[in-house]
Amino acid sequence: MIQFRDGFYADIRTEDRSRTFISYKAGILEEMKNRVEKQAFLRVYDGNLWYYSSVTDVDHLQKALDELYSAAKENAHILDDPMVKRFEKNQDSIMSFQDCSVRDISLKEKQDLLLSYLPLLSEDPCITMPMGEYLDRNSLFHFQSSLGADITYDYQTCGVVISCSMVEGEKKFTGNWQKGGTRFDQMQGLEEEIRKSVKEQTSFLRNSVPVEAGKYPVVLSPMAAGVFAHESFGHKSESDFMLSDESMKNEWELGKMVGSPILSIVEYGNVPGCGFVPYDDEGTKARKNYLIRNGALAGRLHSAQTAAALDEGMTGNARAIDCTFEPIVRMTTTYIEGGDLDFDELIAPIKKGYYIKDIRHGSGMSTFTIAPSLAYEIIDGKLGRPVQISVLTGNVFETLGLIDGLTKDVELLSFVTGGCGKMEQMNLPVGFGGPYVRVSSMNVQ
Amino acid sequence: MEKEFIKNTERSITLNVTGGKIDSFRSLEKTTGTVRVYENGCIGVAGCLGEPDENELTEKAKEALAFGIPYPCHMEEPLEMEKRQEKEIIPVPEFIPTMQAFLDRLGEMCPKFAFSNKISQTYNYTEYKNSAGRHLVSSGWTLSVELVIQNRGSGNLFDTFLGWSGDHFDPDALAGQVKKEYDAFYTPADLEPGRYPVIAGSFDLIARFFQHFVGDLYAAGASLVSGKLGQKMFSDKLSVQCDMNPETAPGTSFFDAEGCVASDFRPTIIEKGVLTGLLTTKKTAEQYGLSTLGTAAGAYDGVPELGFRSVYFEPTEKSLREMVPGKAVYVVVASGGDATPDGHFATPVQMAYLMEDGKLVGRLPDLSIRGDFFDMFGKDYIGTVHDDPLKGSMLSAVMMDVTK
Repeated sequence: MIQFRDGFYADIRTEDRSRTFISYKAGILEEMKNRVEKQAFLRVYDGNLWYYSSVTDVDHLQKALDELYSAAKENAHILDDPMVKRFEKNQDSIMSFQDCSVRDISLKEKQDLLLSYLPLLSEDPCITMPMGEYLDRNSLFHFQSSLGADITYDYQTCGVVISCSMVEGEKKFTGNWQKGGTRFDQMQGLEEEIRKSVKEQTSFLRNSVPVEAGKYPVVLSPMAAGVFAHESFGHKSESDFMLSDESMKNEWELGKMVGSPILSIVEYGNVPGCGFVPYDDEGTKARKNYLIRNGALAGRLHSAQTAAALDEGMTGNARAIDCTFEPIVRMTTTYIEGGDLDFDELIAPIKKGYYIKDIRHGSGMSTFTIAPSLAYEIIDGKLGRPVQISVLTGNVFETLGLIDGLTKDVELLSFVTGGCGKMEQMNLPVGFGGPYVRVSSMNVQ
Repeated sequence: MEKEFIKNTERSITLNVTGGKIDSFRSLEKTTGTVRVYENGCIGVAGCLGEPDENELTEKAKEALAFGIPYPCHMEEPLEMEKRQEKEIIPVPEFIPTMQAFLDRLGEMCPKFAFSNKISQTYNYTEYKNSAGRHLVSSGWTLSVELVIQNRGSGNLFDTFLGWSGDHFDPDALAGQVKKEYDAFYTPADLEPGRYPVIAGSFDLIARFFQHFVGDLYAAGASLVSGKLGQKMFSDKLSVQCDMNPETAPGTSFFDAEGCVASDFRPTIIEKGVLTGLLTTKKTAEQYGLSTLGTAAGAYDGVPELGFRSVYFEPTEKSLREMVPGKAVYVVVASGGDATPDGHFATPVQMAYLMEDGKLVGRLPDLSIRGDFFDMFGKDYIGTVHDDPLKGSMLSAVMMDVTK
């Protein structure tokens, strides 16, 4: 039983994390391991400075906490601190994966699943370096604070990743396919999905043509639209960037029009998948937060520090990649809400444009970029030849204003590799997605 | 049965900076241990968090042999070597006051800049030993200043960046460079579209092409340099190495995760324009008949994997002015670009200065730069300069197409 002291705010976050990683390259087993780690991150706040400690010795948390107390200064008014007043005192237990924990599935069963998919990469002679990976993670989080918060929840992801080099003559392409989910049984029976994707990518290798650089209408898939929402606007909603400059609050006044009236972007940690965060790493319960609603700036993402500084409510977005780091303002699952069209209606008015089906990466500052991996021409309202595009770019706010069509259906995506990077904390699992999104003009290179 | 034992310790103190004020102090100490055993063409690995018990890990590693992961056993020959730097750069009790004084100075010199993010001091210790008699120990301290800079009132996440790391703290030099950038930041500059020397961090220029130097991709024929090992492909002036030399890469271990030690602690990939090395582990080197480069990495509980530390471009000139007389684009932030499979590279440049005769003269608007892999490091490669503008910096220049 942890003994918290009066005159300070303190919290302790522990994670018991199990990860499995199995990989094959060119039919040879490269790695097979299950790593189980227990770590804790402790925080003490005295009203002036935060004192943090990351420890692997989770059996002696009281000692680590007492060391932090000794570095801080007792503050009789700590409970009046605007930040401390915002911390929630939730007590809850959300155990979603006890009946299907990947910890209970043997390495052999996971290995056999991966092996069953590898022959699919031998069906085309252009594939020269077939690779397959199985990854899973099951985490048990426990959060407790000096205010009485006591939360336990579990988290799980698992997935299969297939990749390969494709070579035919002078043509080269790196093929990728990934399926992420939260249960092992979701990873079974994927043969046809993989085969179809490999076939599409080999066709891309053989038939794709260089793009004619210029400005064109572009249709983004849910994958590309999700990355666009995350990179171009999601990061701008992380309000820690507003703390250093008082003029930011005027620049980012809620209600200001920042996009097309048909555009709404949502951020929500309670969505099943890799961005599932029912309570953030400060013990705040997840809320559905609109970042943009009908084109207007509707909200932003907070930790207790930023909510107090900007005098706004908590949102449940204080996250750390693991117990090595302190929580900072991060996204969970970010998506664009759907519209009223189907896909054929969306592309029908386009005389010449491009459809971005899959991407390698994206970024967003004042200018956003999307690096497509699979893209197609749209000619006279129909999909055409595959095209090689190195990058799509544009001014973020101009482009948000140029969104002029959305499909009805929204697809949310989950991943087992990669993740969001922010300064020193890389590869945080986040979910994203959206409908198919039409932008009337984008710079295509 | 052959065996390797590795112990790593990282200790760090990290300060968080918000608007020029330190608001948190984080301490971290993390030790890991690894044992790898080799038998009958297979590898078994065991690792732990915390102080390692070598005997216990050895037993677990033997059990892991049952997974049947193929891996060649080529133990490095006997060698005793250590390079240790145990003295911290700034004593811990002085760290907060020293850095707050530095931040206050920056704030006074550059009132329109808001500084945020991290300053840290990190100690790394790595020990490697194998059953053939090799025993290597490396330790060192690194100071890292990673400050995001916002132009007050811009509304941007960040406008520019101060990133520096090294084995010393020279506040005068750092503050002097920030002041030069500050003065240039508020001086508008412009450039007609065309071809110009583009100056950027050496690794930043080559990063999007680095996969093409991976042995697996090379052997698969999927690399842009496939089949060209030993051939002259790039500029005579271009020599690229992996920097594991603590003199120029402070805090870096001088040996890799498989105990390999390069003659000058810098395994070479390109020597005077000739492709001489590829990124390999001992396994991939044997698989594809390549040389072991000696840059392997590995998780504490994992099989050795491809790795690469700092890049080292051989210097060709002594100063930016010598390297690029006249106008040049000095890139500070270029994010989001990529290359097509045939080597055409394009990226937006979010923050760049116009440089003339080695001096920053003004801030350029958002730009795009484009180039071709073989040209950028062939006929368009201009050169590399070390320690200008700051000790420890390494900047390269190439001719590229610049558009707005």
